[in-house]
Amino acid sequence: MRALAAAALALPGLSPARAQAAEDDEWSFQYGRYREGERDLFGVHSDFDPIEVDNLDFVGRLTLFDRVKVALRWVQDTWSGATPISTAPQVLEGNRPTNPDGVSGATPFLQGDVFLSSDFDPLEVDEFGSVLGTNPQLVHTLSSASPETRNQLDLDLGYEWDAAELRVGGGFSLEPDYESRFVRLGGDFDLDQKRTTLRFELQFGESDTTALLDHDAVPYIDTSFYAGRIESFPSTGRRRLEDDRQDWGAQLGVTRILSRDSWIETRIGYTRSTGYLANPYKVVQVGFIDPGQQFLAPPGGYYAQVRALLEQRPDERNQWTWDTRYAHYLERLDAALHVSYRFFHDDWGIDAHTLEASWGQPLGFGVTVTPRVRYYTQGAADFYEPWLLSQQAYQTIVTDPDTGDIVSITPFDRRLLPSEFSSDHRLSAFGALSGGVSLSMQLARGVRLDGGFEYYTHRGSLRLGGGGEGDFADFDSYLVSANLTLDAAALHAIASGVPDAHDGHVEHAGHAPAGVLLGHMLPAAGDWMVGLRTQWSRQDGDVLHGSRSASDADILARGCGGEPCTNAPDRMDMLMTMLDLMAAPTDWLNLMLMPSFVNMEMALRPLDGAAPDVHGSHDHSTGGVGDLSMFALFRLFDAPGHRVHAGAGLGVPTGAVDRKHRRTHQESRGYTHYGMQLGSGTWDFLPSLTYTGRSGAFSWGGQASGVVRLEHENDSGYALGDLFQATAWGGFALTRWLSASARALYTLQGSIRGEYDRPHDVSTPMDLPQNSGGQFWDLGFGLAAGVPSGFLAGNRLSVEWLQPLQDDVDGYQLERTGALFAGWSVEF
Amino acid sequence: MPATERSLASLLLLALLLCGCAAVAPWERGRLAEPQMALDPDAKQRALREHTHMSREAAAGSAVGAGGGCGCY
Repeated sequence: MRALAAAALALPGLSPARAQAAEDDEWSFQYGRYREGERDLFGVHSDFDPIEVDNLDFVGRLTLFDRVKVALRWVQDTWSGATPISTAPQVLEGNRPTNPDGVSGATPFLQGDVFLSSDFDPLEVDEFGSVLGTNPQLVHTLSSASPETRNQLDLDLGYEWDAAELRVGGGFSLEPDYESRFVRLGGDFDLDQKRTTLRFELQFGESDTTALLDHDAVPYIDTSFYAGRIESFPSTGRRRLEDDRQDWGAQLGVTRILSRDSWIETRIGYTRSTGYLANPYKVVQVGFIDPGQQFLAPPGGYYAQVRALLEQRPDERNQWTWDTRYAHYLERLDAALHVSYRFFHDDWGIDAHTLEASWGQPLGFGVTVTPRVRYYTQGAADFYEPWLLSQQAYQTIVTDPDTGDIVSITPFDRRLLPSEFSSDHRLSAFGALSGGVSLSMQLARGVRLDGGFEYYTHRGSLRLGGGGEGDFADFDSYLVSANLTLDAAALHAIASGVPDAHDGHVEHAGHAPAGVLLGHMLPAAGDWMVGLRTQWSRQDGDVLHGSRSASDADILARGCGGEPCTNAPDRMDMLMTMLDLMAAPTDWLNLMLMPSFVNMEMALRPLDGAAPDVHGSHDHSTGGVGDLSMFALFRLFDAPGHRVHAGAGLGVPTGAVDRKHRRTHQESRGYTHYGMQLGSGTWDFLPSLTYTGRSGAFSWGGQASGVVRLEHENDSGYALGDLFQATAWGGFALTRWLSASARALYTLQGSIRGEYDRPHDVSTPMDLPQNSGGQFWDLGFGLAAGVPSGFLAGNRLSVEWLQPLQDDVDGYQLERTGALFAGWSVEF
Repeated sequence: MPATERSLASLLLLALLLCGCAAVAPWERGRLAEPQMALDPDAKQRALREHTHMSREAAAGSAVGAGGGCGCY
């Protein structure tokens, strides 16, 4: 009846975090990866990696009270790679090769000269200036971007009546150059014995853009259209565009059960956006045909100076959508066919159609496979132009004929250009065809794993009715995802049979503090545990040499080996998120799988007395998938009050070790600092030995663990040092559901062996292997709470602050400030 | 909206309204309760797909209340 109620009551999610009925309470964790294929640069190979995005999505839905639901969602995107900054004639060579082997990896060339035919087609000329013929081919100009991370937090509250539901929600999204805050109000009304459901939703969002303009390109971009909105920082050469936008949205929908086998839904939506709606990283290249310079033109043709202008979009957009979905159940196959159509129209001149179909086919044994196909087509925005021509001078310089001094500089007349222009290919006419498959598997009672794959191809030629953009804008991409869902009601039913949860005593005293991995084993064969751990750590103290602070003069002279350092680390933050999956195939053996995701940020500061280096004015960031750890835990000893288990683990090098600095100020800095790579790059052996004890309200334990690198070097030519840790803790149960702990930790970390075997910059101590490793002493203070009864029984939350006591580093390293661990887990 | 699209929209809306004649009692909705017949069988995968489409297509926007970030790349 649960699914029946959901089918009869629920409407598809306009809001992604809709509260559910109590029996639909769930936790879910999804990882997704998006990657594009390389763009066709027509004979030039770019060494920029294509766009790739790692996406994490954690959702918890809970019933607070009988009719009050809450839904919490955390989303994180980390993306990096190269993206088109503009479009230009191929003859301009915007991606011109900079390496002898014909590889482009340099500054995007946004300025230049183009010769045009009498019909304004670009002309190909040889090195002697002889015209070889017309070449109308356009090509994207690519620019690289450093990894960036976006975090979004959403909260929804819902109240249910018998035939209605009201929801209120909101959240925020943060990324380095864009922040948005949004609220929404929605509701459902059931009519006609719940055969019909009406739904509405109102939304408001406000967003701020604070974009540092492309370092490499900004000297060549005309931003005169944005005078007053761009702030300059002459000392660093930075230019920052600041603006904001507002978005209002409203949707109205109706879902109707048509028969025993089918339902249909239709909804209309309206969105109004105002403010800065352009993209601060896109420019339009304009060929200025200066009448005074046409003596340079080929016979019968024209000569144009190409300049780049920051794109200019309308500051208002009104969008209308109409969605219709239909589903039909085929009894003979036990399958469901879903089809949907979406029409979109806006006052930028874009009309779009989306047609989608999927086939949900249960295969038995809790497995459902769903192939799907999607076709999308759109027209171009009124102001879309791949590039522009303007019959005027970019600027007119008047000089004094006697002295040669410049008397005046008159810029181009804006009125002779369109008031809005963009060459963003997403506003062009094109079609996209995508297809994929989803697989849903019930792993155990209350545990479901969903996987998905989609291949997507964007083609100008796929536009419905033809007339799409040229093939220079074509690209392919794929998206894969895996989602683990825990059904809280089913897990509660299982947990009710677990003695510790059932009798109201939570065995928190048997668990180690939040910062200790592998601190306990599952009690019995057949048990499962799922959890999420986060570790946030900061280093922003002094730069240490051994255990003493090093002066700038000392760092400058000795921190970078034989070369003088120019910068020192000022702050480094790391956020690591790990998913804990644990199963007990037997009483004496537990198996664990721990994928990890990391994000790191580093700020540098210039050293006193060092040579000026613009590198020091930048913050660096990296992020993405970290290393995967797999463990087997063996129960060695189990007596009342005392337990010992040993662990043997394998570290799988899934984290990247080839992350590079973003090009800045026309310079490639090569590989980023060693500590900013996402993984070890080597296969690692992870042994551990753990003892835990308890007596009444007291608990205690100790653990020795290590990391032994199984390879001498990774794909980038080095290996992280081996690691040994020893820790001991004591805990006290403050109440029957809350306990506190204190812990001591000693860490011995070896230095990096080998070094980068490819170009990398050495301007800070973190760029040298000898400035890594050391001995570290910490004290930890933690709290742990276990839910003793109710539908959340078996859930456990824990936090721990790790306070450094002493650092004794090898070489020169940034002093640690502290680390915060937080964990949630549920056993069933 | 061109005339053909208006006609198509009107026809579909009309079909939706007329279809209301078949009364389906709550106890007759077992097939509709199958997971594969849910209104959103894979809500999170769909949200992820729509998020990537939003950053690559002009018409996928209007997700005002769901955040989604700039999608400026």
